[in-house]
Amino acid sequence: MSFRAKIFLSITATVVVAVWIVAGVVSTLVSRSFERRDEQRTATLVAQFHAEFNRRSAEVARRLDAIASSDEIARMAVDLGSSQSDLGKYYDQAQNLAREQSLDFLELVGPDASIISSAEWPARFGYKESWLLGFGDSKGVFLKREELADGSALGLIAVRTNGQLSIVGGQKLDKQFLDTLPVAEGMRVELQTAIDPATQSREIRRVTPEATITSIPLFGRENQLLAVLQVENSRSELASLKRYIQGTALLVGSGAVLLGLLLSFWTASRVTRPLRELTLSVREVADGKWDTRAGVRSGDEVGQLARDFNRMTAQLVEQRDRMIQAERVAAWRELARRLAHELKNPLFPLQITIENLQRSRDTPQFEEVFRESTTTLLAELDNLKTIVGRFSDFSKMPAPELERTNLNQIVREVVKLFDAQIHGSGRPEVQVELTLDENLAAIQADPEQIRRALRNLILNALDAMPDGGVLTIRTQNLDGKVALEVSDSGAGLTSEECERLFTPYYTTKQHGTGLGLAIVQSVVSDHKGTITVHSQPGKGATFRIEFKA
Amino acid sequence: MKLHAWAWLALSSLPLFPVAGATRPRYGGAVTVDLSFVSAGVVTPLVEETLVRLNEKGEIEPFLATAWQMDPDRKRWRFSLRPKVFFHDGEPLNASHAAAALLPELRKKYGDVNATAGGQTIVLQFDRPVPDLLTELANVRMAIFRTNEKGMPIGTGPFRVDTWEPGRRIALAAFEDYWGGRPFLDSAIVNLGASRSTGDIFDIPFSSARRVLPEHIRIWESPVHELIALVGDNVHPLAWQALALSIDRAPIINVLAQKRAEAAFGLLPEWLSGYEFLFTAAPDVARAKQLISQLRLTPMTLSYPANDGFMRSIAERIALNARDAGIALSPTPNPGGALRMVRWTIESTDAAAELNRMAALLGLPERALSATRPQELYEAERAMLDTQRIVPILFLPDVYGIAPRIHNWDAAQKGGGFSLHLENIWVDK
Repeated sequence: MSFRAKIFLSITATVVVAVWIVAGVVSTLVSRSFERRDEQRTATLVAQFHAEFNRRSAEVARRLDAIASSDEIARMAVDLGSSQSDLGKYYDQAQNLAREQSLDFLELVGPDASIISSAEWPARFGYKESWLLGFGDSKGVFLKREELADGSALGLIAVRTNGQLSIVGGQKLDKQFLDTLPVAEGMRVELQTAIDPATQSREIRRVTPEATITSIPLFGRENQLLAVLQVENSRSELASLKRYIQGTALLVGSGAVLLGLLLSFWTASRVTRPLRELTLSVREVADGKWDTRAGVRSGDEVGQLARDFNRMTAQLVEQRDRMIQAERVAAWRELARRLAHELKNPLFPLQITIENLQRSRDTPQFEEVFRESTTTLLAELDNLKTIVGRFSDFSKMPAPELERTNLNQIVREVVKLFDAQIHGSGRPEVQVELTLDENLAAIQADPEQIRRALRNLILNALDAMPDGGVLTIRTQNLDGKVALEVSDSGAGLTSEECERLFTPYYTTKQHGTGLGLAIVQSVVSDHKGTITVHSQPGKGATFRIEFKA
Repeated sequence: MKLHAWAWLALSSLPLFPVAGATRPRYGGAVTVDLSFVSAGVVTPLVEETLVRLNEKGEIEPFLATAWQMDPDRKRWRFSLRPKVFFHDGEPLNASHAAAALLPELRKKYGDVNATAGGQTIVLQFDRPVPDLLTELANVRMAIFRTNEKGMPIGTGPFRVDTWEPGRRIALAAFEDYWGGRPFLDSAIVNLGASRSTGDIFDIPFSSARRVLPEHIRIWESPVHELIALVGDNVHPLAWQALALSIDRAPIINVLAQKRAEAAFGLLPEWLSGYEFLFTAAPDVARAKQLISQLRLTPMTLSYPANDGFMRSIAERIALNARDAGIALSPTPNPGGALRMVRWTIESTDAAAELNRMAALLGLPERALSATRPQELYEAERAMLDTQRIVPILFLPDVYGIAPRIHNWDAAQKGGGFSLHLENIWVDK
C-alpha cells in the first residue's frame, strides 16, 4: 500500500469513526428521549381512558336507573306478574327505550332469564341470558362482551331490576368511544377484542421498528380477559430523526472522505513526492546508473536523506571507478602472470634446446641433436601457438547465430568426439552415462557455440577425474525450459572455488588457463541462459545449464 | 236495499225490544278507508260482481247467476242470470254483457270458448272438460263490468265509482238500484297509499315496530291469504332439511306477528286446500345438527325485501334459529343471496290456480290440476315442497283497524273472499 493511500485511509478512518461515534451517541440520546416521551404520553392516554371509562359508566348507570324507574317498565313489570300477560307485545320495547336513552345495548329479561325484548339483537326474544340467574343485585357497571347478530361487541353494562323484570343495558366500548380520547399526533389507540384470554394478564410493552406498543388488558366482571387496549406510539418521527442523523453523518463522512483525499493528495505532494523521487533515484542506482542524483531540495528529514543519498552515490561512483581501475590492474597482472606462466613453460624447453644446439655445434652428434632440437622447438612453438590461440579465442567470442537446435543431438556428437580420448589405451577408465530426455524440446541456439561450451564442460569433467570415474550427462524438460547437466565423480570443489569458478583466468588445475568455464559462461549468457555448479569436496561436481525452450 | 237490512230495520222498530242506537241500522253517512299497503283490489267487488262467489265456507253460491247446469262431460255450461240487475249507468244486465266481459278472460284460461247469449241465459261451450269453471268464475278477474269513455269501470255492485284518481283516491257512491238493496252508506272514500291512518277503516301492516292503537279501535283480520316463505337455490339437500327443521314458527307468530298469523307448513292455507295440516312438522334442532354434522357448510346470505322491517325481523329470527343448528346465515337486504324471503299473496280461491302460480314463481313446470280433486292437489303441493326450494313460514291475513262508529262490520264481512264488504255496514251520525 502506498504512503499516500495510508495517509488517505488514516485521515478518512479517523474522521468517519469520529462522525459515527458522535452520530451513535446523538441517536441513542434521541431514542431515550423519545422513549421517555412515549411512556409519558401512553400513561396520560391510559389515565384519560380510565377517566372516560368511569364517566361513561356513571352515565350508563344513570340511564339504566331512568329506564328502570320509567312508567313503561313499571307497567311491564306489573304485566309480567300477570298470568294473562302477552309478552310478545313488548318485542320492540327495548329498542324504543334504548333509542330514548341513547343506549347501544338494552335487554328486558324476565324472571326465568328469558329475553322479552332486545334492542341490540331483536330476534333473540325468548332466548335466555343464563348469566343473569346468579347475578344478584348490583349497582356496578362492568365490561361485558355482548353477542350480536353479526358478531359481538364490547360494552359497558349495568343491570337494574324492577319487580321480576331485569333491565340489562349499556353502551359500546368501541372506536367511537376511543375517538373521544384526546390522542396526540403519532399515537394510535385501538381496542382488540379478538384475543386469546390465556395470552395476556398484565400490561405488556413491546417495541417494533414502526411503533412502541403498549397493551393493557381489560377484564370483565369475573376477571375474565375481554379486550386489550392497545396504545401505539409511532416511531416514525424517531425513525425520521434517526434517518436525518444518519444522513448527516453520511454527509459528514463523505466530506471526510473527500477531505481525506485532498489532505492525502496535499500531504503526498509535500511528503511523498521527494520520497518518490528518491525512490526513483535508488531504482536507477540499482539499475547500474550510479551517477544518479536525487533532486530533493527540502531542508527536512527527506531532504537530508536525499543529500545523504547523493553523497552515497557519489562515493559509490568513486569507489566503483577505483575498483574498476584496481580490477583492470589486477586483470592485467593476472593476465601477465598467466601469460608469463603459460609462456614460461614452453620457453624453458626452447632455451634448453637452443643451448643444447649451441653446445653440440661442433660435435659429431650435432646433426642428431639438431634434428631432435628442431623437432622440440617446433613442438614447443606449436604449444606457444596453442596458448596464444586460446587467449585469442577468448577475446573473439562472436555473437551467437540462433537456430532451432536439438540439444540431445549435440550431446551425442560431442561425446562421440571424446570417444578416443576417453577410451584410449593407457588412460584411466571413465564411464560415460547419458540420460537424455527423448522428448526434449528444441531450443533457439547457436549449435557451434553450444558444442564448444559442452566440450569445455566435458574436458573440465575429465580433468577432474584423473583416476577415472563416471561422467554423466543429462537433459530434461523443465517448465518452459530445457536443462543440461554435466556431472563428474571427481574430487569436487569447495564453496569458495564454486563462487570463483567462472572468473576468467581462474583455474584449479595446475596447467589450466582459467578460460574454459569463462567461455562456457559467456556462451550461456549470450543464449540468455543460466549456469550453476553444485559440488561438495569428495562428491564430484555438477554443472547445470538452463535454456529457454 | 238488502232484505236482511230491512229485517234489521223492522226489528229495531219493535217497541217491545228496545235496542241500543248503535245496533240499529241507519242509512246515510260516509266512511273513509285508508289503505297504506293493501291494494285497491280489496274494494273492487264493491263495484264489480261475478256470476258466482265463494261463501265463508268456501262453497260456491249464486251471485249474478241464479242457476246453472252443465253437461256430463263438463264442456257445455248454461247460466241463468239474475233478473233486474242494472249496471251503474242504468242499463240492465243481460247475457250479451256477461259474454262480452267473460270471453276474453275465459279464452286466456281455457283457450277456445264459444258463448251463446240470449236474454238472461248464457251458454258457454268449451272444447275440453272444465270441471273447475265455477271456481274460476268466482274469481274477481271474471267480474262482469263495462267501462265508460273515461275508462272507469261500470259494474253492477252496491257502489258506483264517483271519482277515480288512479293510485291515489277512489270515491264510491251508493248505487240506488243495486239488486241486493241500496247500501246503508251514502258514500265511501278510499285513500290509496295512505301515509296516515285516520280513516274509519285502515289497514295495519305487519311491522317490526309495534303500533300503538287507541283502545277504542277494533282489530279485524281477513282470512290468511299471504304466504311468507324461505326460498333457496342450490342449497345442499341436508342443509336444506336442517334449516327447515331449525325454524321455530311459534315465536315468530306470537311475537313478531302478534299472534295474527298462522304457521305455514304447506303452500296453501288450510281454508283453501283443506289438507295443509298434513304438512305440519315440529322444529327439531337436535336432528338439524345431526343432519349437518357431516357437512362443511359455508356461511350463506339470506336476503329479504329492502324496507320491509317485518320480513327483516323474520329473517333475523330464522338466522338465529339456524345458528342454533350450526348453520351460518347472514340476513341482508341486498338481493342475490342463496336464500331469500318472499311474500306471495294468494290472489284467488282457486287452489289449483294458486299452486300453479306458485310453481311458476319457483320456476317449476305447471301441472294440469283441478280444485275438485284434493288428492291431486296434495300430491302436487307435496312434490313442490319436496323440490327443497321452499320452506313455508307463515300465512298472514290483512289486518284492519275499525273505528267504533262502524257497525255490523263482522257480519258484513262474511260475504267471503279477502275483499272489504261495505254494503252492509252503517255508521253513526
